[in-house]
Amino acid sequence: MSRFFATGSDSESEESSSADEITPKAPGTTFKQSLLLSDDEEDTKRVVRSAKDKRFEELTNLIKTIRNAMKIRDMAKCLEEFEQLCRAFLKSKNIVDKEGVPPFYIRLLADLEDYLNQLWEDKEGKKKMNKNNAKALSTLRQKIRKYNRDYETEIAAYKENPQESADEEEEKEPGDSGSSSDSDDEGGDEGVTAKSFLKKKPEPTPEASKFLKTAKGSGDESSSSEDDDDEDWSSDSVHSGSESSDEGDEKTSSLAVVFLKKTLDTEKSEKRLGKKRKPKKKERLEEEAEEEGGEEVEGGWEKVKGGAPLVKEKPKMFAKGTEINIPVVVKKLNEILQARGKKGTDRAAQIELLHALAAIANENNLGQGIMVKIKFNIIASLYDYNPNLAAFMKPDMWKKCLDCIDELLDILFDNNNIFIGENIAEDSESLAISDQPFRVRGCILTLVERMDEEFTKIMQNTDPHSQEYVDNLKDEGRVCGIIDRLLDYLETKGSTEEICRIYLRRIMHTYYKFDYKAHRRSLGLQGETKSEQDQEESEGEDSAVIMDRLCKFIYAKDRTDRIRTCAILCHIYHHALHSRWYQARDLMLMSHLQDNIQHADPPVQILYNRTMVQLGICAFRQGMIKDAHNALLDIQSSGRAKELLGQGLLMRNMQERNAEQEKIEKRRQVPFHMHINLELLECVYLVSAMLLEIPYMAAHEFDARRRMISKQFHHQLRVGERQPLLGPPESMREHVVAASKAMKMGDWRTCHSFIINEKMNSKVWDLFPETQRVREMLVRKIQEESLRTYLFTYSSVYDSISMETLSEMFELEIATVHSIISKMIINEELMASLDQPTQTVVMHRTEPTSLQNMALQLAEKLGSLVENNERVFDLKQGVYGGYFNRDQKGGYQQNKGGYQRGGYRNQNQSNY
Amino acid sequence: MASRKESGSGPTTVMASTGGTLDSPVKQIQIEGLVVLKIIKHYQEEGQGSEVVQGVLLGLVVDDRLEITNCFPFPQHTEDDADFDEVQYQMEMMRSLRHVNIDHLHVGWYQSTYYGSFVSRALLDSQFSYQHAIEESVVLIYDPIKTAQGSLSLKAYRLTPKLMEICKEKDFTPEGLKKANIGFEHMFEEVPIVIRNSHLINALMWDLEDKSTVADKHELLNLSSSNHLEKSLQLLMDRVDDMSQEIVKYNTYSRNLSKQQQQKHQYLQRRQQENAQRQSRGEPPLPEEDITKMFKPPQPPPRMDTLLIAGQINNYCQNVKEFTSQNLGKLFMAEALQEHN
Repeated sequence: MSRFFATGSDSESEESSSADEITPKAPGTTFKQSLLLSDDEEDTKRVVRSAKDKRFEELTNLIKTIRNAMKIRDMAKCLEEFEQLCRAFLKSKNIVDKEGVPPFYIRLLADLEDYLNQLWEDKEGKKKMNKNNAKALSTLRQKIRKYNRDYETEIAAYKENPQESADEEEEKEPGDSGSSSDSDDEGGDEGVTAKSFLKKKPEPTPEASKFLKTAKGSGDESSSSEDDDDEDWSSDSVHSGSESSDEGDEKTSSLAVVFLKKTLDTEKSEKRLGKKRKPKKKERLEEEAEEEGGEEVEGGWEKVKGGAPLVKEKPKMFAKGTEINIPVVVKKLNEILQARGKKGTDRAAQIELLHALAAIANENNLGQGIMVKIKFNIIASLYDYNPNLAAFMKPDMWKKCLDCIDELLDILFDNNNIFIGENIAEDSESLAISDQPFRVRGCILTLVERMDEEFTKIMQNTDPHSQEYVDNLKDEGRVCGIIDRLLDYLETKGSTEEICRIYLRRIMHTYYKFDYKAHRRSLGLQGETKSEQDQEESEGEDSAVIMDRLCKFIYAKDRTDRIRTCAILCHIYHHALHSRWYQARDLMLMSHLQDNIQHADPPVQILYNRTMVQLGICAFRQGMIKDAHNALLDIQSSGRAKELLGQGLLMRNMQERNAEQEKIEKRRQVPFHMHINLELLECVYLVSAMLLEIPYMAAHEFDARRRMISKQFHHQLRVGERQPLLGPPESMREHVVAASKAMKMGDWRTCHSFIINEKMNSKVWDLFPETQRVREMLVRKIQEESLRTYLFTYSSVYDSISMETLSEMFELEIATVHSIISKMIINEELMASLDQPTQTVVMHRTEPTSLQNMALQLAEKLGSLVENNERVFDLKQGVYGGYFNRDQKGGYQQNKGGYQRGGYRNQNQSNY
Repeated sequence: MASRKESGSGPTTVMASTGGTLDSPVKQIQIEGLVVLKIIKHYQEEGQGSEVVQGVLLGLVVDDRLEITNCFPFPQHTEDDADFDEVQYQMEMMRSLRHVNIDHLHVGWYQSTYYGSFVSRALLDSQFSYQHAIEESVVLIYDPIKTAQGSLSLKAYRLTPKLMEICKEKDFTPEGLKKANIGFEHMFEEVPIVIRNSHLINALMWDLEDKSTVADKHELLNLSSSNHLEKSLQLLMDRVDDMSQEIVKYNTYSRNLSKQQQQKHQYLQRRQQENAQRQSRGEPPLPEEDITKMFKPPQPPPRMDTLLIAGQINNYCQNVKEFTSQNLGKLFMAEALQEHN
């Protein structure tokens, strides 16, 4: 090994080796090749490799490693590889059964055994070996002896006449692949070459490498039709091979390995893609020759390299003097596109190429048709640039993409006679300048949609608190602009379906934005003091009008359910955001989405959750506390609001979600600028729960079967109670808990000061567009509910209470107090009557005392106890016990409803 | 005050005897007034609300009468002296008392109670260990709340021999209890108590009574009842809830058991059929498998807790009954007085 390094390492070797790997960053080296792709080989078919080839390739690879290990006397490695080889061989048993044991395998076995024996006899060498190796050697020797017993005849045959057996194989191979006639010769040639390369031991086993070659090489290689090239190549390599074999066996063999490897790899990558293209051999030859040089220096023992680059063009597109016309350009374009998606393709270079092609087309005035086509492809390859779905575009790519789409739209707007569509077949395109309109294959809508998705992806992957995010967000305007332009374009040209799709895009970019100018206009503040920019902004339609128009179109025309659902949800969201509560609610109820949203896909569900939350917040602003609570209940009660709204992932252990799922979930996240403030959400929920729950708790203090309105609120209360030391509230939750406690006592002033103060203002209330109005509403609600709570809690203390006092206590008008108390009386929540002349509430004291309540509860509990006990008896007696009379039991259960003690006793007497 | 007076008014039978057919070595308990006062004082000083105070009774047995002549309290437990050695403390205490020539024989323990909620596992266990070690030991239950209402409430309990048997065997499964044929009524036996003072003290008391300037305040005649009843009901309800749970537990257990029995039965039948078939075909029968391994019987719920809960409920009910009947009497009396006026 060291000898190779010693021979020198020039910079070239580095370069060429880096070119081997697919590195988009090194286009310079890829352009070094002087030849271009051309079309004459376009049609050559490539034979798909059989399972056999694959298996044999695996085997040969292993064999190669073993030989390498043998050379450096690394017995441990040798042993390891040998075991692997045995396994691999077992795997390919099917094929072996069909084809017979491949000779190269036998060869290895024979060689290995010889080699081992030789080593074994070399006592001195053995002594020098380290312990590991010595041990491995003995193990391996035993193993191979045992193993070779099965192949004794083959090995014997091989040893007898190595050459012949190899030739036989040679004959067979080309026959299998069934390709061109000269493959025989070629295979032979190659075999000789390889043989000379692969000699690695003093006693020549010349045929060895041939098999390596033929196993995979000839099968694939021979399918190509141009003999000259192949001939050239092989003769060339023969030449170099013979030269080098003189110098040193080891060196050459390594070279050969690399050499072989190279071809195989390129073929492999080509084949995998199943494309019909194949670069010209000559070009390849040069390339390979260069690599050889590099490789030789580096030493050939390194393992498989990534697929070799396929597209190595120069920016120069056409040979000099070629007349540049449309078919030529199209051909060229196709040629470039062929490489698309292949492993070795340098994507950056491809984009460059396409740009260059566009420039050429432009220079030569080939018409807009071809330009449109090229543009389409540029954009497509920009999207292709990122290998996987998770990665997002780099800023420069993104800029390029936006520019391209803009240009494309420019062309489309300028030229009315271009028809584009996905359904136009490649061959029915008409790109030539003629009287007929252009017909180009491609779908601008898809491109724009993809662009929009890319934008979302960029936003998802940017840190929302950085300047970068703001910068990226500035592009939103451009994205919207493009969507708007496309919308205009499609309105004249596109089908309804396409219009629906682009409308939805437009809606998606509109629904979450608060329309400040419309808001201002509605407040009547439109006016003089504004700057010019504001003036400009306030022109144009209200977003509400736009939403209405777009959504209604979709409702009427859309045939896919999903677009309509999204549109409805966005529409509702938009209504709710702008405090049009009734419209939003009606739309939600009419859509019946609540019934079947669970069948929708996750993104739609996230949108639904967002809409529900917005609806709840809207209801809260309007003072519909109950509606607000109901709308938010589902989201808040799960405790996973963050996840349900697509605003972040919850920390969970890996058992629940693997990396794959996490990636998917990450892709669903809503970009930061569309987030709904979670603290606001929780606060709104807790405050509405407080306003509902506290009076309810006061009213049902003694009810044993009291249900909770909001579990989460109770949870917060309990957390508050558990605190050993209660300081002044800090967080939003603590504020609400403290306020709840005050409200329990009917102390509305304290409650008010806890809910509305500077801290809460800055945290929550100032986030609403109509802050002042919301706060006023809240104060009023707190007053009313505190009054109710007060009456529930302390009514037993009063005989009568003047409404005037109440109105003073709670700073409410007498009329309001009157109406609240009347409502309570009507609902039978308060046992009292109103004395009109004196404006007092007279308590009736008909409510059961706590002792009576307790007794009732006890009776109820005893009832269930007896019932449980009966079940035990039922079980004991069995169905046929006859201990219990079924009728009686029914009668008992009827009685249970009314807690008739007599009923119990009668029952019990009859039962026991 | 009233309680003190009562305890001072000579040998009074506080409790009616529950029947003379006690087959235990102790048929009567005679308590020195000193002991009663010490217990009350102990609670007054250390017991608050539902907290319970405990202490050791000292005395000796005379014939079938247990004479309790002195007592000392257990120190209140606090969190920070967890390594406090109770046994050590007791031995030390008894040795000291012996030095001043006081009876030093351990004859039981006392405990205060909160609304009569003393029938618990802890009481059962410690009384069992007492009675196991010292046959004649009793537990004195002092109810401070009832006492405050006007009548001294001090009761002595022992475990019945039956319960002793069960506790010894530690078999609390449904079957075990069924075999022992024990109900909650037969868990504890109450021993009649007699409070006795020496003649000298009696003389002093008589003397004091004449001179006493304390106004006669009769808590006994207090008419308010709802508070006490509410508390009792609350406790009663909790117990009833527990009872329900226990029953549900037992229910599921017996259902599971019967289900399994059925399965077992089916399995056996199938086995038999198969074996019969095999026999007719001349094959050897299937090997016997351990059925108990295949059908592990469900864990039976311990029934002792249920018994205790039942005993406790019974106790509460007695309390409430007693209390309400007394109150009704008082109310009628008050009515009559009003009419008279």
